Amino acid sequence: MESALISGLQGLLLGVTHLGVGHVIMILIASLLLYLGISKGYEPLLLVPIGFGAILVNIPLAEMMGDDGFLRYFYNAGVRTEVFPLLIFLGIGAMTDFQPLLENPKIILLGAAGQFGIFLTLLLALALGFDKLDAVAVAIIGACDGPTAIYVSSKFAPHLLAAVSVAAYSYMSLVPLIQPPIMRFLTTEKERKIAMGVVREPVSKTTKILFPIVVTIFASILAPKGAPLIGTVMLGNLMKESGVVDRLKRAAENEIANIVTLLLGLCIGATMEADQFLQAQTLLVLGLGFIAISLDTVVGVLFGKLMCLLTAGKINPLIGAAGISAFPMAARVVQVEGQKYNKKNYLLMPAMSANAGGQIGSVIAAAVMLSVLQGMGIVGG
Amino acid sequence: MDTWTFGWTLALIGMAGTMLVLWCLSLLILLLKKLFPYQPEESASPKG
Amino acid sequence: MATNVEAPMVGKILKIEKNVGDQVEEDEVVVVMEAMKMEIPIVAPTSGVLKEIKVSPGQAVEAGEVLAVIE
Repeated sequence: MESALISGLQGLLLGVTHLGVGHVIMILIASLLLYLGISKGYEPLLLVPIGFGAILVNIPLAEMMGDDGFLRYFYNAGVRTEVFPLLIFLGIGAMTDFQPLLENPKIILLGAAGQFGIFLTLLLALALGFDKLDAVAVAIIGACDGPTAIYVSSKFAPHLLAAVSVAAYSYMSLVPLIQPPIMRFLTTEKERKIAMGVVREPVSKTTKILFPIVVTIFASILAPKGAPLIGTVMLGNLMKESGVVDRLKRAAENEIANIVTLLLGLCIGATMEADQFLQAQTLLVLGLGFIAISLDTVVGVLFGKLMCLLTAGKINPLIGAAGISAFPMAARVVQVEGQKYNKKNYLLMPAMSANAGGQIGSVIAAAVMLSVLQGMGIVGG
Repeated sequence: MDTWTFGWTLALIGMAGTMLVLWCLSLLILLLKKLFPYQPEESASPKG
Repeated sequence: MATNVEAPMVGKILKIEKNVGDQVEEDEVVVVMEAMKMEIPIVAPTSGVLKEIKVSPGQAVEAGEVLAVIE
Protein backbone atom coordinates (compact mmCIF):
# COMPACT_ATOMS: atom_id res chain seq x y z
CA MET A 1 0.00 0.00 0.00
CA GLU A 2 2.73 2.41 0.99
CA SER A 3 4.77 1.78 -2.16
CA ALA A 4 1.65 2.08 -4.30
CA LEU A 5 1.02 5.51 -2.82
CA ILE A 6 4.57 6.56 -3.56
CA SER A 7 4.53 5.39 -7.16
CA GLY A 8 1.16 7.06 -7.62
CA LEU A 9 2.57 10.31 -6.35
CA GLN A 10 5.57 9.87 -8.60
CA GLY A 11 3.22 9.79 -11.54
CA LEU A 12 2.05 13.26 -10.63
CA LEU A 13 5.61 14.49 -10.23
CA LEU A 14 6.89 13.02 -13.49
CA GLY A 15 5.89 16.11 -15.41
CA VAL A 16 7.83 18.31 -13.04
CA THR A 17 10.94 16.19 -13.28
CA HIS A 18 10.78 16.24 -17.07
CA LEU A 19 10.32 19.98 -17.24
CA GLY A 20 13.39 21.37 -18.98
CA VAL A 21 14.73 24.90 -19.23
CA GLY A 22 13.58 24.95 -22.88
CA HIS A 23 10.00 24.17 -21.89
CA VAL A 24 10.01 26.97 -19.35
CA ILE A 25 11.41 29.47 -21.83
CA MET A 26 8.86 28.44 -24.45
CA ILE A 27 6.00 28.72 -21.98
CA LEU A 28 7.25 32.21 -21.15
CA ILE A 29 7.40 33.09 -24.85
CA ALA A 30 3.91 31.67 -25.31
CA SER A 31 2.70 33.74 -22.38
CA LEU A 32 4.22 36.81 -24.00
CA LEU A 33 2.27 36.05 -27.20
CA LEU A 34 -0.91 35.65 -25.15
CA TYR A 35 -0.18 38.93 -23.38
CA LEU A 36 0.39 40.73 -26.68
CA GLY A 37 -2.82 39.30 -28.07
CA ILE A 38 -5.04 39.81 -25.05
CA SER A 39 -3.73 42.99 -23.44
CA LYS A 40 -2.17 44.79 -26.38
CA GLY A 41 -4.66 43.67 -29.01
CA TYR A 42 -1.98 42.61 -31.52
CA GLU A 43 -3.67 40.13 -33.87
CA PRO A 44 -5.55 38.48 -31.00
CA LEU A 45 -7.38 36.12 -33.34
CA LEU A 46 -4.04 34.52 -34.11
CA LEU A 47 -1.88 35.13 -31.08
CA VAL A 48 -4.37 33.67 -28.60
CA PRO A 49 -4.58 30.23 -30.28
CA ILE A 50 -0.87 30.33 -31.23
CA GLY A 51 0.19 31.21 -27.70
CA PHE A 52 -2.03 28.57 -26.16
CA GLY A 53 -0.95 25.95 -28.65
CA ALA A 54 2.64 26.76 -27.76
CA ILE A 55 1.91 26.23 -24.08
CA LEU A 56 0.20 22.91 -24.75
CA VAL A 57 3.01 21.55 -26.86
CA ASN A 58 5.64 22.42 -24.27
CA ILE A 59 3.99 20.52 -21.45
CA PRO A 60 6.39 17.62 -20.84
CA LEU A 61 4.99 14.12 -21.42
CA ALA A 62 1.64 15.41 -22.71
CA GLU A 63 2.81 14.64 -26.26
CA MET A 64 0.25 16.80 -27.96
CA MET A 65 2.31 16.61 -31.15
CA GLY A 66 3.11 12.93 -30.67
CA ASP A 67 1.72 10.44 -33.16
CA ASP A 68 -1.58 10.25 -31.29
CA GLY A 69 -1.66 13.81 -30.04
CA PHE A 70 -4.72 15.83 -30.86
CA LEU A 71 -2.67 18.75 -32.13
CA ARG A 72 -0.79 16.39 -34.44
CA TYR A 73 -4.14 15.28 -35.80
CA PHE A 74 -5.14 18.84 -36.75
CA TYR A 75 -1.65 19.58 -38.04
CA ASN A 76 -1.64 16.57 -40.36
CA ALA A 77 -5.16 17.25 -41.51
CA GLY A 78 -4.83 20.93 -42.25
CA VAL A 79 -1.28 22.21 -42.30
CA ARG A 80 0.59 19.37 -43.91
CA THR A 81 -2.07 19.14 -46.57
CA GLU A 82 -2.01 22.96 -46.98
CA VAL A 83 -5.78 22.97 -46.69
CA PHE A 84 -6.02 25.45 -43.80
CA PRO A 85 -4.27 28.40 -45.47
CA LEU A 86 -6.28 27.74 -48.63
CA LEU A 87 -9.55 27.87 -46.70
CA ILE A 88 -8.41 31.15 -45.16
CA PHE A 89 -7.80 32.43 -48.69
CA LEU A 90 -11.37 31.55 -49.57
CA GLY A 91 -12.52 33.82 -46.75
CA ILE A 92 -10.12 36.59 -47.74
CA GLY A 93 -11.45 36.49 -51.28
CA ALA A 94 -15.00 36.70 -49.98
CA MET A 95 -14.08 39.72 -47.86
CA THR A 96 -12.00 41.65 -50.37
CA ASP A 97 -13.48 44.31 -52.57
CA PHE A 98 -11.28 44.69 -55.62
CA GLN A 99 -13.25 47.71 -56.79
CA PRO A 100 -10.47 50.24 -56.01
CA LEU A 101 -8.14 48.18 -58.15
CA LEU A 102 -10.64 47.83 -60.99
CA GLU A 103 -11.16 51.58 -60.93
CA ASN A 104 -7.46 52.29 -61.17
CA PRO A 105 -5.78 49.24 -62.71
CA LYS A 106 -2.41 50.89 -63.46
CA ILE A 107 -1.76 51.06 -59.74
CA ILE A 108 -1.60 47.24 -59.66
CA LEU A 109 2.08 47.60 -60.65
CA LEU A 110 2.76 49.01 -57.18
CA GLY A 111 1.37 45.76 -55.87
CA ALA A 112 4.13 43.98 -57.77
CA ALA A 113 6.88 46.32 -56.57
CA GLY A 114 5.68 45.78 -53.00
CA GLN A 115 6.64 42.11 -53.29
CA PHE A 116 10.24 42.65 -54.30
CA GLY A 117 11.30 42.40 -50.68
CA ILE A 118 10.57 38.67 -51.01
CA PHE A 119 13.16 38.19 -53.70
CA LEU A 120 15.78 40.50 -52.20
CA THR A 121 15.42 38.75 -48.85
CA LEU A 122 15.85 35.42 -50.61
CA LEU A 123 19.32 36.53 -51.66
CA LEU A 124 20.10 37.75 -48.14
CA ALA A 125 18.95 34.48 -46.60
CA LEU A 126 21.10 32.52 -49.03
CA ALA A 127 24.06 34.77 -48.16
CA LEU A 128 23.48 33.95 -44.50
CA GLY A 129 23.74 30.27 -45.30
CA PHE A 130 20.12 29.14 -45.31
CA ASP A 131 19.35 26.11 -47.47
CA LYS A 132 17.60 26.91 -50.74
CA LEU A 133 14.08 25.96 -49.68
CA ASP A 134 14.55 27.37 -46.17
CA ALA A 135 15.57 30.65 -47.78
CA VAL A 136 12.39 30.59 -49.87
CA ALA A 137 10.30 30.05 -46.75
CA VAL A 138 12.01 32.90 -44.93
CA ALA A 139 11.77 35.25 -47.91
CA ILE A 140 8.04 34.68 -48.25
CA ILE A 141 7.56 36.69 -45.04
CA GLY A 142 8.05 39.58 -47.46
CA ALA A 143 4.69 38.73 -49.00
CA CYS A 144 3.40 40.33 -45.80
CA ASP A 145 0.53 37.94 -45.98
CA GLY A 146 -0.07 35.33 -43.29
CA PRO A 147 -1.75 32.55 -45.28
CA THR A 148 0.72 32.87 -48.17
CA ALA A 149 3.63 32.61 -45.75
CA ILE A 150 2.05 29.60 -44.03
CA TYR A 151 1.26 27.94 -47.34
CA VAL A 152 4.77 28.29 -48.72
CA SER A 153 6.67 27.50 -45.53
CA SER A 154 4.57 24.46 -44.66
CA LYS A 155 5.27 23.21 -48.17
CA PHE A 156 9.04 23.75 -48.25
CA ALA A 157 10.29 24.17 -44.70
CA PRO A 158 7.79 22.93 -42.11
CA HIS A 159 10.45 23.20 -39.40
CA LEU A 160 10.45 26.98 -39.94
CA LEU A 161 6.66 27.28 -40.02
CA ALA A 162 6.31 28.70 -36.51
CA ALA A 163 9.06 31.29 -36.88
CA VAL A 164 7.89 32.32 -40.33
CA SER A 165 4.24 32.69 -39.41
CA VAL A 166 4.91 34.43 -36.12
CA ALA A 167 7.21 36.83 -37.98
CA ALA A 168 4.70 37.37 -40.79
CA TYR A 169 1.81 38.13 -38.46
CA SER A 170 3.76 40.22 -35.98
CA TYR A 171 5.36 42.40 -38.63
CA MET A 172 2.00 42.79 -40.35
CA SER A 173 0.62 44.29 -37.19
CA LEU A 174 3.77 46.41 -36.87
CA VAL A 175 3.39 47.81 -40.37
CA PRO A 176 2.17 51.15 -38.95
CA LEU A 177 5.49 51.44 -37.07
CA ILE A 178 7.83 49.97 -39.69
CA GLN A 179 6.66 51.88 -42.74
CA PRO A 180 6.46 55.60 -41.87
CA PRO A 181 10.20 56.21 -41.22
CA ILE A 182 11.07 54.50 -44.51
CA MET A 183 8.42 56.47 -46.36
CA ARG A 184 9.68 59.75 -44.93
CA PHE A 185 13.29 58.91 -45.60
CA LEU A 186 12.72 58.14 -49.27
CA THR A 187 10.43 60.99 -50.25
CA THR A 188 10.67 64.77 -50.32
CA GLU A 189 8.12 66.91 -48.55
CA LYS A 190 6.94 68.18 -51.93
CA GLU A 191 6.24 64.62 -53.08
CA ARG A 192 4.38 63.80 -49.88
CA LYS A 193 2.09 66.79 -50.44
CA ILE A 194 0.89 65.65 -53.85
CA ALA A 195 -2.90 65.42 -53.73
CA MET A 196 -4.48 62.75 -55.87
CA GLY A 197 -8.12 63.77 -55.76
CA VAL A 198 -11.15 61.54 -55.88
CA VAL A 199 -11.15 58.97 -58.63
CA ARG A 200 -14.67 58.23 -59.74
CA GLU A 201 -14.70 55.57 -62.35
CA PRO A 202 -17.53 53.18 -61.61
CA VAL A 203 -17.12 49.57 -62.61
CA SER A 204 -19.90 47.44 -64.04
CA LYS A 205 -21.17 44.41 -62.20
CA THR A 206 -20.25 42.24 -65.17
CA THR A 207 -16.62 43.36 -64.90
CA LYS A 208 -16.58 42.64 -61.17
CA ILE A 209 -17.97 39.16 -61.74
CA LEU A 210 -15.69 38.35 -64.66
CA PHE A 211 -12.57 39.67 -62.89
CA PRO A 212 -12.02 36.70 -60.52
CA ILE A 213 -12.73 34.21 -63.30
CA VAL A 214 -10.38 35.86 -65.78
CA VAL A 215 -7.62 36.30 -63.20
CA THR A 216 -7.85 32.67 -62.16
CA ILE A 217 -7.63 31.33 -65.69
CA PHE A 218 -4.93 33.72 -66.85
CA ALA A 219 -2.68 33.73 -63.79
CA SER A 220 -3.01 29.99 -63.11
CA ILE A 221 -2.01 29.14 -66.65
CA LEU A 222 1.09 31.31 -66.31
CA ALA A 223 1.91 30.05 -62.83
CA PRO A 224 0.18 26.68 -62.43
CA LYS A 225 1.83 25.89 -59.10
CA GLY A 226 0.08 28.91 -57.67
CA ALA A 227 -3.33 27.85 -58.88
CA PRO A 228 -4.51 26.71 -55.42
CA LEU A 229 -3.71 30.14 -53.94
CA ILE A 230 -5.12 32.17 -56.82
CA GLY A 231 -8.09 29.85 -57.23
CA THR A 232 -9.26 29.97 -53.62
CA VAL A 233 -8.96 33.75 -53.32
CA MET A 234 -10.79 34.26 -56.57
CA LEU A 235 -13.49 31.69 -55.83
CA GLY A 236 -14.17 33.57 -52.61
CA ASN A 237 -14.32 36.82 -54.52
CA LEU A 238 -16.62 35.35 -57.16
CA MET A 239 -18.98 34.17 -54.42
CA LYS A 240 -19.04 37.74 -53.12
CA GLU A 241 -19.42 39.55 -56.42
CA SER A 242 -21.88 37.16 -58.07
CA GLY A 243 -24.32 37.83 -55.26
CA VAL A 244 -26.14 34.55 -55.83
CA VAL A 245 -24.46 32.41 -53.18
CA ASP A 246 -24.69 34.72 -50.23
CA ARG A 247 -24.92 31.77 -47.81
CA LEU A 248 -21.66 30.30 -49.05
CA LYS A 249 -19.97 33.67 -49.08
CA ARG A 250 -21.00 34.30 -45.49
CA ALA A 251 -19.87 30.84 -44.47
CA ALA A 252 -16.48 31.41 -46.11
CA GLU A 253 -15.84 34.72 -44.40
CA ASN A 254 -17.37 33.79 -41.04
CA GLU A 255 -17.82 30.19 -39.98
CA ILE A 256 -15.15 28.59 -42.14
CA ALA A 257 -12.63 31.38 -41.61
CA ASN A 258 -13.26 31.33 -37.85
CA ILE A 259 -12.88 27.58 -37.47
CA VAL A 260 -9.79 27.48 -39.63
CA THR A 261 -8.22 30.49 -37.91
CA LEU A 262 -8.62 28.73 -34.58
CA LEU A 263 -7.21 25.41 -35.77
CA LEU A 264 -4.45 27.02 -37.80
CA GLY A 265 -3.37 29.14 -34.85
CA LEU A 266 -3.29 26.11 -32.58
CA CYS A 267 -1.24 24.18 -35.12
CA ILE A 268 1.28 26.97 -35.55
CA GLY A 269 1.62 27.18 -31.79
CA ALA A 270 2.02 23.42 -31.75
CA THR A 271 5.11 23.64 -33.94
CA MET A 272 6.81 25.79 -31.31
CA GLU A 273 8.42 22.91 -29.45
CA ALA A 274 11.37 24.03 -27.37
CA ASP A 275 14.13 22.12 -29.13
CA GLN A 276 12.86 23.19 -32.54
CA PHE A 277 12.07 26.80 -31.83
CA LEU A 278 14.86 27.78 -29.45
CA GLN A 279 17.56 28.05 -32.05
CA ALA A 280 19.68 30.88 -33.39
CA GLN A 281 17.97 30.26 -36.72
CA THR A 282 14.65 31.47 -35.30
CA LEU A 283 16.19 34.83 -34.47
CA LEU A 284 17.66 35.01 -37.97
CA VAL A 285 14.22 34.29 -39.43
CA LEU A 286 12.67 37.05 -37.34
CA GLY A 287 15.43 39.48 -38.39
CA LEU A 288 15.18 38.61 -42.07
CA GLY A 289 11.41 38.92 -41.95
CA PHE A 290 11.77 42.44 -40.66
CA ILE A 291 14.19 43.24 -43.46
CA ALA A 292 11.84 41.66 -46.01
CA ILE A 293 8.93 43.90 -45.07
CA SER A 294 11.18 46.97 -44.93
CA LEU A 295 12.54 46.19 -48.39
CA ASP A 296 8.97 45.79 -49.70
CA THR A 297 8.29 49.31 -48.52
CA VAL A 298 11.55 50.65 -49.94
CA VAL A 299 10.96 49.19 -53.40
CA GLY A 300 7.27 50.14 -53.30
CA VAL A 301 8.01 53.78 -52.52
CA LEU A 302 10.84 53.91 -55.07
CA PHE A 303 8.51 52.50 -57.70
CA GLY A 304 5.96 55.09 -56.60
CA LYS A 305 8.58 57.76 -57.25
CA LEU A 306 9.16 56.32 -60.70
CA MET A 307 5.43 56.40 -61.43
CA CYS A 308 5.32 59.96 -60.08
CA LEU A 309 8.05 60.89 -62.54
CA LEU A 310 6.39 59.14 -65.47
CA THR A 311 3.00 60.72 -64.78
CA ALA A 312 4.51 64.19 -64.37
CA GLY A 313 3.78 64.34 -60.65
CA LYS A 314 0.22 62.99 -60.61
CA ILE A 315 1.01 60.06 -58.33
CA ASN A 316 2.04 60.54 -54.73
CA PRO A 317 4.97 58.17 -54.16
CA LEU A 318 3.71 57.43 -50.63
CA ILE A 319 1.04 55.14 -52.05
CA GLY A 320 3.85 52.84 -53.15
CA ALA A 321 4.14 51.78 -49.52
CA ALA A 322 0.61 50.38 -49.78
CA GLY A 323 1.74 47.96 -52.47
CA ILE A 324 2.27 45.34 -49.78
CA SER A 325 -0.40 42.85 -48.88
CA ALA A 326 -1.06 43.97 -45.30
CA PHE A 327 -4.63 45.07 -45.74
CA PRO A 328 -5.81 47.61 -44.88
CA MET A 329 -3.00 48.64 -42.50
CA ALA A 330 -0.68 49.78 -45.27
CA ALA A 331 -3.34 51.91 -46.91
CA ARG A 332 -4.18 53.41 -43.54
CA VAL A 333 -0.53 54.26 -42.95
CA VAL A 334 -0.37 56.01 -46.31
CA GLN A 335 -3.55 57.94 -45.56
CA VAL A 336 -2.20 59.06 -42.18
CA GLU A 337 1.26 59.97 -43.50
CA GLY A 338 -0.14 61.85 -46.48
CA GLN A 339 -2.47 63.82 -44.25
CA LYS A 340 0.40 64.86 -42.01
CA TYR A 341 1.84 66.99 -44.77
CA ASN A 342 -1.33 68.08 -46.51
CA LYS A 343 -4.40 67.91 -44.29
CA LYS A 344 -6.83 67.86 -47.17
CA ASN A 345 -5.14 65.04 -48.92
CA TYR A 346 -7.02 61.76 -48.92
CA LEU A 347 -4.63 59.18 -50.29
CA LEU A 348 -6.81 56.41 -48.99
CA MET A 349 -8.52 55.61 -52.25
CA PRO A 350 -5.39 55.26 -54.42
CA ALA A 351 -3.63 53.60 -51.49
CA MET A 352 -6.46 51.07 -51.35
CA SER A 353 -5.95 50.43 -55.06
CA ALA A 354 -2.28 49.77 -54.40
CA ASN A 355 -3.14 47.68 -51.35
CA ALA A 356 -5.61 45.52 -53.28
CA GLY A 357 -2.90 45.25 -55.91
CA GLY A 358 -0.56 44.11 -53.15
CA GLN A 359 -3.02 41.42 -52.10
CA ILE A 360 -3.13 40.03 -55.60
CA GLY A 361 0.58 40.76 -55.93
CA SER A 362 1.58 38.62 -52.96
CA VAL A 363 -0.42 35.68 -54.24
CA ILE A 364 0.98 36.13 -57.75
CA ALA A 365 4.53 36.50 -56.42
CA ALA A 366 4.16 33.25 -54.47
CA ALA A 367 2.62 31.56 -57.51
CA VAL A 368 5.44 32.76 -59.75
CA MET A 369 7.98 31.62 -57.17
CA LEU A 370 6.45 28.13 -56.91
CA SER A 371 6.33 27.79 -60.67
CA VAL A 372 9.92 28.96 -61.16
CA LEU A 373 11.03 26.48 -58.47
CA GLN A 374 9.20 23.77 -60.34
CA GLY A 375 10.73 24.88 -63.61
CA MET A 376 14.22 24.74 -62.11
CA GLY A 377 13.49 21.27 -60.86
CA ILE A 378 14.00 22.25 -57.22
CA VAL A 379 10.59 20.93 -56.30
CA GLY A 380 8.67 18.14 -57.95
CA GLY A 381 5.87 18.76 -60.41
CA MET B 1 22.57 23.96 -59.22
CA ASP B 2 24.75 26.11 -57.00
CA THR B 3 23.24 28.44 -54.46
CA TRP B 4 23.91 31.70 -56.25
CA THR B 5 22.68 30.58 -59.66
CA PHE B 6 19.55 29.45 -57.85
CA GLY B 7 19.21 32.67 -55.89
CA TRP B 8 19.71 35.11 -58.71
CA THR B 9 17.58 33.12 -61.16
CA LEU B 10 14.68 32.89 -58.75
CA ALA B 11 15.03 36.52 -57.69
CA LEU B 12 15.24 37.95 -61.21
CA ILE B 13 12.61 35.76 -62.85
CA GLY B 14 10.48 36.15 -59.76
CA MET B 15 10.52 39.93 -59.82
CA ALA B 16 10.19 40.20 -63.60
CA GLY B 17 7.49 37.51 -63.65
CA THR B 18 5.44 39.10 -60.87
CA MET B 19 5.65 42.49 -62.56
CA LEU B 20 4.76 41.02 -65.95
CA VAL B 21 1.78 38.99 -64.71
CA LEU B 22 0.37 41.97 -62.82
CA TRP B 23 0.91 44.25 -65.80
CA CYS B 24 -0.99 41.80 -68.00
CA LEU B 25 -3.72 41.73 -65.35
CA SER B 26 -4.02 45.51 -65.51
CA LEU B 27 -4.43 45.26 -69.28
CA LEU B 28 -7.05 42.54 -68.79
CA ILE B 29 -8.94 44.79 -66.39
CA LEU B 30 -8.86 47.63 -68.92
CA LEU B 31 -10.14 45.24 -71.57
CA LEU B 32 -12.95 44.02 -69.31
CA LYS B 33 -13.91 47.58 -68.56
CA LYS B 34 -13.99 48.38 -72.28
CA LEU B 35 -16.11 45.33 -73.08
CA PHE B 36 -18.50 45.83 -70.19
CA PRO B 37 -18.65 49.53 -69.44
CA TYR B 38 -20.54 50.77 -66.43
CA GLN B 39 -24.09 51.83 -67.12
CA PRO B 40 -25.50 54.31 -64.62
CA GLU B 41 -28.96 52.72 -64.59
CA GLU B 42 -27.51 49.28 -63.90
CA SER B 43 -28.00 49.38 -60.15
CA ALA B 44 -31.45 50.92 -60.40
CA SER B 45 -33.02 48.50 -62.89
CA PRO B 46 -31.17 45.22 -63.29
CA LYS B 47 -32.19 44.33 -66.82
CA GLY B 48 -28.61 43.62 -67.90
CA MET C 1 -19.07 81.14 -47.91
CA ALA C 2 -20.27 77.57 -47.71
CA THR C 3 -17.82 74.71 -47.97
CA ASN C 4 -18.81 71.14 -48.56
CA VAL C 5 -17.41 68.25 -46.59
CA GLU C 6 -17.19 65.52 -49.21
CA ALA C 7 -16.77 61.80 -48.94
CA PRO C 8 -13.32 60.94 -50.34
CA MET C 9 -14.49 57.46 -51.23
CA VAL C 10 -17.41 55.05 -51.38
CA GLY C 11 -18.43 53.84 -47.96
CA LYS C 12 -20.85 53.95 -45.08
CA ILE C 13 -21.38 56.63 -42.46
CA LEU C 14 -20.41 55.32 -39.05
CA LYS C 15 -20.65 58.28 -36.70
CA ILE C 16 -21.43 61.97 -36.83
CA GLU C 17 -19.00 63.69 -34.48
CA LYS C 18 -20.49 67.19 -34.62
CA ASN C 19 -23.92 68.74 -34.37
CA VAL C 20 -25.50 71.35 -36.57
CA GLY C 21 -24.54 74.77 -35.21
CA ASP C 22 -21.20 73.59 -33.77
CA GLN C 23 -18.11 75.65 -34.41
CA VAL C 24 -15.60 73.38 -36.16
CA GLU C 25 -11.93 74.05 -36.68
CA GLU C 26 -10.08 73.21 -39.85
CA ASP C 27 -8.93 69.56 -39.80
CA GLU C 28 -11.32 68.65 -36.98
CA VAL C 29 -13.16 65.37 -37.47
CA VAL C 30 -16.74 65.95 -38.58
CA VAL C 31 -17.84 62.52 -39.75
CA VAL C 32 -16.41 59.04 -39.39
CA MET C 33 -16.90 56.82 -42.41
CA GLU C 34 -16.43 53.11 -42.76
CA ALA C 35 -15.02 51.74 -45.97
CA MET C 36 -13.49 48.34 -46.55
CA LYS C 37 -13.69 47.38 -42.88
CA MET C 38 -11.80 50.47 -41.91
CA GLU C 39 -12.70 53.63 -40.08
CA ILE C 40 -11.88 56.86 -41.88
CA PRO C 41 -12.21 60.20 -40.13
CA ILE C 42 -13.39 62.91 -42.49
CA VAL C 43 -12.07 66.30 -41.40
CA ALA C 44 -13.39 69.77 -41.95
CA PRO C 45 -11.69 71.34 -44.97
CA THR C 46 -12.04 74.76 -43.35
CA SER C 47 -13.06 76.41 -40.07
CA GLY C 48 -16.60 77.61 -39.61
CA VAL C 49 -20.02 76.78 -38.30
CA LEU C 50 -21.52 73.46 -39.23
CA LYS C 51 -24.62 74.51 -41.12
CA GLU C 52 -26.01 71.24 -42.32
CA ILE C 53 -25.42 67.53 -41.97
CA LYS C 54 -26.70 65.67 -44.99
CA VAL C 55 -26.13 62.10 -43.85
CA SER C 56 -26.98 59.86 -40.93
CA PRO C 57 -25.14 56.86 -39.41
CA GLY C 58 -25.56 53.69 -41.41
CA GLN C 59 -26.12 55.52 -44.66
CA ALA C 60 -24.16 54.48 -47.75
CA VAL C 61 -22.38 57.27 -49.59
CA GLU C 62 -20.68 57.63 -52.96
CA ALA C 63 -17.25 59.15 -53.55
CA GLY C 64 -17.62 62.90 -53.79
CA GLU C 65 -21.02 62.96 -52.09
CA VAL C 66 -21.60 65.95 -49.84
CA LEU C 67 -21.69 64.87 -46.20
CA ALA C 68 -22.02 68.22 -44.49
CA VAL C 69 -21.85 71.92 -45.17
CA ILE C 70 -19.67 74.37 -43.25
CA GLU C 71 -20.24 78.10 -43.39
